[in-house]
Amino acid sequence: MFLALTEMRRAKVRFGLLAGAVGLLVLLILFQQALLTGLVNQFIGALKNQSADVLVYNAQARKNLEGSIILDQQATAIAAVDGVAVAAPLGEGTFTVVAGDEEQDAVLFGYVLGGPGEPTTLIEGRLPEGAREAVASSRNADDGFDIGDTVLIVANPGGTETVFTVVGLAEEINYSVAPTLFVDFAGYETARRAVNPDATLVLPSVIAVRVTDGADPAEVAAAITAGVDGTEALTRQQAVDGSPGVASVRQSFSLILLLFYLVVPLVTGLFFLIITFQKAGALTLLRAIGSPAGPLVRSLLIQVVIVVLSGAALATVLFWIATLFGGGSLGITVEPVPVVATTLAVLVLALLTSLAAVRRVLRIDPIAATTGGGVQV
Amino acid sequence: MNLALTELRRQPSRFAVATVVLTFLSLLLLLLGGLLDGLYLGSTGAIRAQRADVIAYSESARDSFLRSRVTADMRETVEGVDGVTEVGGLGFTLLGATVPGEADLADVAVAGYELAPSGVPDPPPAGRAWADDTLQDAGVSIGDTLLVGPAATPIVVDGWVEDTNYLQQGALWVTLGTWREVQNANRPDAFVADGVVQVLIVRGDGDLAAAVDEATGSTSSLTRDQAVNALPGVKAQSSTFNVIIYSTLAVVLAVVGLFFSLLTLERTGLYGVLKAIGASTRRLFAGVVLQAVAVAVLAFAIGGFLAWLADRALPGEVPLQLTVGRYVFTFVALIVAAVLGSAISLRRVTRIDPASAIGSAA
Repeated sequence: MFLALTEMRRAKVRFGLLAGAVGLLVLLILFQQALLTGLVNQFIGALKNQSADVLVYNAQARKNLEGSIILDQQATAIAAVDGVAVAAPLGEGTFTVVAGDEEQDAVLFGYVLGGPGEPTTLIEGRLPEGAREAVASSRNADDGFDIGDTVLIVANPGGTETVFTVVGLAEEINYSVAPTLFVDFAGYETARRAVNPDATLVLPSVIAVRVTDGADPAEVAAAITAGVDGTEALTRQQAVDGSPGVASVRQSFSLILLLFYLVVPLVTGLFFLIITFQKAGALTLLRAIGSPAGPLVRSLLIQVVIVVLSGAALATVLFWIATLFGGGSLGITVEPVPVVATTLAVLVLALLTSLAAVRRVLRIDPIAATTGGGVQV
Repeated sequence: MNLALTELRRQPSRFAVATVVLTFLSLLLLLLGGLLDGLYLGSTGAIRAQRADVIAYSESARDSFLRSRVTADMRETVEGVDGVTEVGGLGFTLLGATVPGEADLADVAVAGYELAPSGVPDPPPAGRAWADDTLQDAGVSIGDTLLVGPAATPIVVDGWVEDTNYLQQGALWVTLGTWREVQNANRPDAFVADGVVQVLIVRGDGDLAAAVDEATGSTSSLTRDQAVNALPGVKAQSSTFNVIIYSTLAVVLAVVGLFFSLLTLERTGLYGVLKAIGASTRRLFAGVVLQAVAVAVLAFAIGGFLAWLADRALPGEVPLQLTVGRYVFTFVALIVAAVLGSAISLRRVTRIDPASAIGSAA
């Protein structure tokens, strides 16, 4: 312990550079993990936190809510499938709105009040009870979407302006990283016609299904897909996982994270291997004057632990500072569990790669102190 | 110089770990850059290809193509603006399409146009399309009749165009009439009346954006580059990926710096001897830089090959696109980081006293 700390105190730049590099790498890992979770939640939070057991898309939409419409005859056929207790329209669209005196984008979800498709994570206020009331995403409360605020749908020429009043806030109900409002389906229809007065018909994007008590949503979804032409029914989780972009974003990030997890221990292992080579003479001498291999190995491992923990602490501080400057818009926050888990994973991997250096310390032959040899390769 | 190269040749194992770490880092840089390029190119091709001085949206659309509605009256006003020489309508509809003989649907962006973008011929006859060649991956061939959207609107593919995709969906370039037919049959809630388009492609001279917006009072006009950046996610993706890429480059710099400063420390005695027999600091330092560059070049070569393999192995939905430009950028960035990193050893090399060769240091 004493030896390890003294050496580190005397070579601050060397160990500082390593801790800095490890810190930067851990920061990148933390940032990307948080970005992935934040992005996925903000892309599909509205699907994840609504009450329908099954969502029925148009098969042509490829699980894309924006590209899906359900025709009247399909909606009727869905309601008649065994296991379906309630089938109600659910509409989704992106609109230009004025909220908090500012023009911005917002996503509207229109559902039948009291039916499947309502938000399930209400944290303040109440659910809508009329066609002009809305539950808003709590993340955007400060952007003009707080309880009592009014949100104006900007109409195109010929359309009528529509105003919604926010009566409740729900957690993690964003969609496509935009402020999101859950409103009555009739209100959604009005908003659609406001931006497109030429619309001949406002069709639901999907049908939200509540299954009968005891029925398995996956089985009901399969029965709907098989029984109703041109539809693709998905359980809530399937809809979340199958959303366009989510699977590919997860795959891409996983690959990059894997590479980062490989690089951190390699950098640490490389450093301690070289250090061990450099200290070969001193280590051999220590062995020759009677120091057992144990304390030398412990000293090495203590240094690995200190370097990784300092790097992780540095990364956490930098990450926290980063979240203060704009991370909130992407839903990035410092969560203790991922920070601790990442630190532990990196530490274990770093200790494993430093085994190469440990092996070399153990192979030092004290007699080499008299012959000029050192660490054996 | 020869000494540095000889050491690399005779003791490659000494540099192996640094090479492996840099290989991983160059692979990371290429994959990160490739993802950024794939997302950018696949989302913006249809707009980058436009030969437009400005693109005019309806004011309330907040620069979104899909929400913009430009009426015939607005178009007439734009056509009368001083300096405007050509005006053409443009509209997009994102849908799934059934491909003959394929079980899976293809994601398509039906693009109605009047003024041909670069690389796209003049509009084909009604009901026919020039298709982006990436749709070949979905099994599309020339002569195929694609059934587009829930209404299964037929569109026949007449030929291929390149790099014209829109929001990661394969573009089908059709006449404005065919686009309206597709839009109205498949999206009745977003019906477009005759004469209505999403945006206007405007060509001409002078400060067109200001002139057009002032004349209509109901448009918001952007240059082509601004329109590209206004596409959903483009700016956020670029800034996020660039932060990660430049942070990774900082790690490369730290790794090279760490490795070569340790190596220099190890060779202090040897450098003392070399200096004592007349080797200059410049020569010794050039050797360190040469070794750093050699390690970086080798790491880039292996990392580049692994990235190419990853590109082939990854499923099509991962938007990885490795361009020559990305390889060149990564190579140059790695070399610069290697040179800067190795420069950390300069102070140490300079401070070595030749007199230290006499005595224990050697």
